[in-house]
Amino acid sequence: MSALLPDVDDPVAGPFWAAAREGRIAVQRCLTCGRLRYPPLVGCPDCLGRTYEWRDLRPTGTVWSFAVYHRALHAAFNGQTPYTVAVVELDDGPRITGRVLPGAQPVVVGDRVRASFESVTDEVTLIQWQLL
Amino acid sequence: MDVAGKVAIVGIGHTVQGELPGRSVEENAVDAIVAALADAGLAKEDVDGLIACKSAQGLGNDVAVGELLGVNPPYAQCLDYGTCNFSLHLAVMAILSGMAETIVMSYGANARTGKVDFGAPLGGVDLATASGLVHIAGPAALALQRHKYLYGTTDEQFGWIAVGQREWAGRNPNAIFRKPLSMADYLATPYLVEPLRRPDVTMISDGGVAVVVTTAERARDMPHTPVYVSGIAEQSGVRGAYNPDNLLRPWLRDAARSIWTKTGLSTSDIDVLYIQDPTAVWSLQMLEYYGFCGIGEAGPFLAEGHTRPGGRLPLNTHGGQLSESYAWGWMHMVEAVRQLRGDAGERQVDGAGVAMYCSSQAFSKAAASILSTDPAVAA
Repeated sequence: MSALLPDVDDPVAGPFWAAAREGRIAVQRCLTCGRLRYPPLVGCPDCLGRTYEWRDLRPTGTVWSFAVYHRALHAAFNGQTPYTVAVVELDDGPRITGRVLPGAQPVVVGDRVRASFESVTDEVTLIQWQLL
Repeated sequence: MDVAGKVAIVGIGHTVQGELPGRSVEENAVDAIVAALADAGLAKEDVDGLIACKSAQGLGNDVAVGELLGVNPPYAQCLDYGTCNFSLHLAVMAILSGMAETIVMSYGANARTGKVDFGAPLGGVDLATASGLVHIAGPAALALQRHKYLYGTTDEQFGWIAVGQREWAGRNPNAIFRKPLSMADYLATPYLVEPLRRPDVTMISDGGVAVVVTTAERARDMPHTPVYVSGIAEQSGVRGAYNPDNLLRPWLRDAARSIWTKTGLSTSDIDVLYIQDPTAVWSLQMLEYYGFCGIGEAGPFLAEGHTRPGGRLPLNTHGGQLSESYAWGWMHMVEAVRQLRGDAGERQVDGAGVAMYCSSQAFSKAAASILSTDPAVAA
């Protein structure tokens, strides 16, 4: 089975994927209340403002939690186990969940990480986490 | 309006839970309805309400179940997948509003032989799913890992949920997983999605379940001891991913506050506890949020054995989704009724008079019900 791939042309999430292709983490910032939000959403769930801009965030953060898949629970991940997925709290606030690049040390909560941009197709680049 | 003692469960029924190849969701639901009506001493014509709960594939709605059951009840409604406790609440509301007097609620599943893929992303593919965060075990593992970090919860402490439920399942002839599981066996089981092991995650099985609910007045003329609904509460978390700390489902605490306030009861009034458990993490969280132990203290609480046979807070005495059957929490309601009727055989809890059932629809909704043979248990 082929990989699980996002729709990078999605009208709301598209700019997030375009930024990842360029090696940036970009999230929406509400132009009414100023809050950052992730995952992408058409409006602000706090103030209901519908206007927003895309703001680049620093690519560093801290592991909030993680899970290690020892078995592929979707055929797209056959042959990739064991792999680790982590929720990373960025230094700029939002939490972003992505794959942790395999390293010498096992992951622990509180680990410092930096984003790494992994091109999986011409269109799709996934944000992954490199332990610092 | 206070619901206490006004509506009662008077019939329970289910098919064999396990592998039912070639049978549709609706067949399983209707067979369970037939069993529940027989248990209540009713014919299908005696029912003026039907509430169907959808299967994981979205099948088994009221229209499909009504067709196969051959009824046109005045009131027919359908709730989404994963809404057993919510179905009970809707039935209570429909009865108290006069919309119906006697309602049968149903659920059918054929997810095992139908090979439903529970790893398939439910919405579109986002960064998390593209990175491999699939299946309910993934977010549950993230929540457990955070719990371990915050409170020092150990694998062994957490393992008492699965091990304890297997002990209960050994006393339940309906349970699919009855082979003894010691703590040593549990700890020797490889991780599935670390820190979760296979015994911490629901099995998938086929089967139907149904429950008949009616007014307290009619319930007194039914064959079985009525099991009264003493209190109901719900709390949504439908902001979903935009809730702070949504993996930890902090809104469960509001469902707890609501049911204790509405009923005037407290944790010490509960004789048997049921927690809907697609993963054991749900039990860990709800023990804490509903106040059976302090926040962060579920690990030591479980290790003290309170939820196991012989303990003071028997939990999921049928084995739950981890050991009895999948049935999306519907069998939890059936087991609560069996315990309160005194019909639970080898696993009967002496003097069980008040049961509580806590469930959730994953990361979006919580529901709690308190049931009792005493119509006046709640103030």
